[in-house]
Amino acid sequence: MTLLGLPYNTLVVAVGVAAVGFAAGVVGSLCVLRKRSLVGDAAAHATLVGVAGAFLATGRRDLATLLVGALSAAIAGLAALLLVRRFTRTRDDAATAIVIGVSFGLGITLVSGLPAWGYANSAGLEQFLLGHTAALTAADAMLLTGVACFATVVVTLLFKETTLVAFDAAFAAATGWPVLLIDAVIVGLVAVMVVAGLPAVGAVLVTALVVIPPVAARAWTDRMSTMLLLAGTMGLVAAVVGVLVSAAWPRLATGPLVVLAAAAIFGISFIAAPKRGWIARRLRDAARNA
Amino acid sequence: MSRAAADPGQDGPRAGGPPLVDFHDVTVAYGGRPVIWNVDLEIDAACLFGIIGPNGAGKSTLLKAALGLVPMVGGSVHFFGKPLREVRPRVGYVPQRETVDWDFPVNVMDVVLMGTYGRLGWFRRPGARERQLARDSLDRVGLADLAGRQIGRLSGGQQQRVFLARALAQQADVYLLDEPMAGVDMRSQEQIFRVLAELKAEGRLVIVVHHDLRTAAEWFDRVALVDMRLVASGPTAAVLTPENLQRTYAGHIDVLEELGRAVATRGRTP
Repeated sequence: MTLLGLPYNTLVVAVGVAAVGFAAGVVGSLCVLRKRSLVGDAAAHATLVGVAGAFLATGRRDLATLLVGALSAAIAGLAALLLVRRFTRTRDDAATAIVIGVSFGLGITLVSGLPAWGYANSAGLEQFLLGHTAALTAADAMLLTGVACFATVVVTLLFKETTLVAFDAAFAAATGWPVLLIDAVIVGLVAVMVVAGLPAVGAVLVTALVVIPPVAARAWTDRMSTMLLLAGTMGLVAAVVGVLVSAAWPRLATGPLVVLAAAAIFGISFIAAPKRGWIARRLRDAARNA
Repeated sequence: MSRAAADPGQDGPRAGGPPLVDFHDVTVAYGGRPVIWNVDLEIDAACLFGIIGPNGAGKSTLLKAALGLVPMVGGSVHFFGKPLREVRPRVGYVPQRETVDWDFPVNVMDVVLMGTYGRLGWFRRPGARERQLARDSLDRVGLADLAGRQIGRLSGGQQQRVFLARALAQQADVYLLDEPMAGVDMRSQEQIFRVLAELKAEGRLVIVVHHDLRTAAEWFDRVALVDMRLVASGPTAAVLTPENLQRTYAGHIDVLEELGRAVATRGRTP
């Protein structure tokens, strides 16, 4: 069965990655509005250690196993971030840079060292670096779709609570809300979506899928709910473009294509959005000076 | 002056039961450096209560400690004789305006509705009742016609009134306000003050952290002078004496100027 001349498997994978792109945009919006944009980056760079670790521990290389490893490592990376900040009194940005560098270095060493250490069937793990969807199966796509649906449902259920904490954490705490717990939900969902984005976009670039669509969506709307929907849609479009282009030219990694598509959407938003866009602002200035 | 309880009021009704708010030996430290030392303060009648002191005196910290936003090294704060967690819906809060990002994608109505979230609890969304309450609150601060506006497109005074409306939607009995008059135009100041006076008339206690001595004397029934420690507290006219102000502002560059203004203002008000 084919559609648009594409094989069935490519279509199923495109649907799975599209769902991930949507959920990443939705979850990323909360993260960006809570001013935690770099949290996803720290989590993403830590995932490689988990991918290699899961393979070493189980000898298996199916997607579910590797992603469970990646999620554990992402959470460990975030915990390391908190510990470095707490016990070394390092500032936020510096602590993030340290965790990104160290965990990524360790991850690259493990992934690139495995074949040399005699793990012949480890080939393919390096695809988690830049993302490659050609190797994904229909079952993998179902798994990714399930994770994306889960994250979207959690955000829908906790929309009121997460918005409150993102806007005014002090007021939320003063009125009895457990801010730490709600923050942990936001950061946890970001970690989950970073991991779900890993096969398609890769550890280096997946954070772009969490940050770029929300920032682009913000240009078009002043409403929180609209922003989440729009960011989701933009993430979905970018993901599908990446998958389809790399299906047509298999030598191209998917991740960079997804990010370039997201960047194009961002560029258009920045220039053409009503009210907040560059053209609209120039027109307003001109009208004021006239 | 160890125990400086506000003496029983000539103004406002007496509660009869436990004090509305009881700061007991409150001590707060940031990174090992104390910013509030052994503050002991009881407020037992509905009134407009000002917490006055120089910059860096720990006024906001005292408020945040009462709300559990910063940990206390020692001491306790009780509302209506109970710890905060048992009476949270009865305590309203207006944080400083600069603490939030006003470019956030919400409108005026959204922010005011946040005042109803505490009573709503997990998962429940605001309904018709909450929307009506938010509209009434906006009406009281004179912003009924701006309900749909994005909060970044408001003046500073309007933003402060949105925060006040959000607190009104909490329907509390004690209100804590952190510098509500800072960077606010005259029209908004008067409107805010009028609403605070209404709250007092309804039998609620309104505690305001305030740094402007000129207006303090005319607005507040009672004040506490704070400079890390509690310097004095009680009816405004009795507390804002040159000696007390000298003790509170000693070592601060602006002391003479502030003193002069305060004493001049006090002379004009009954």
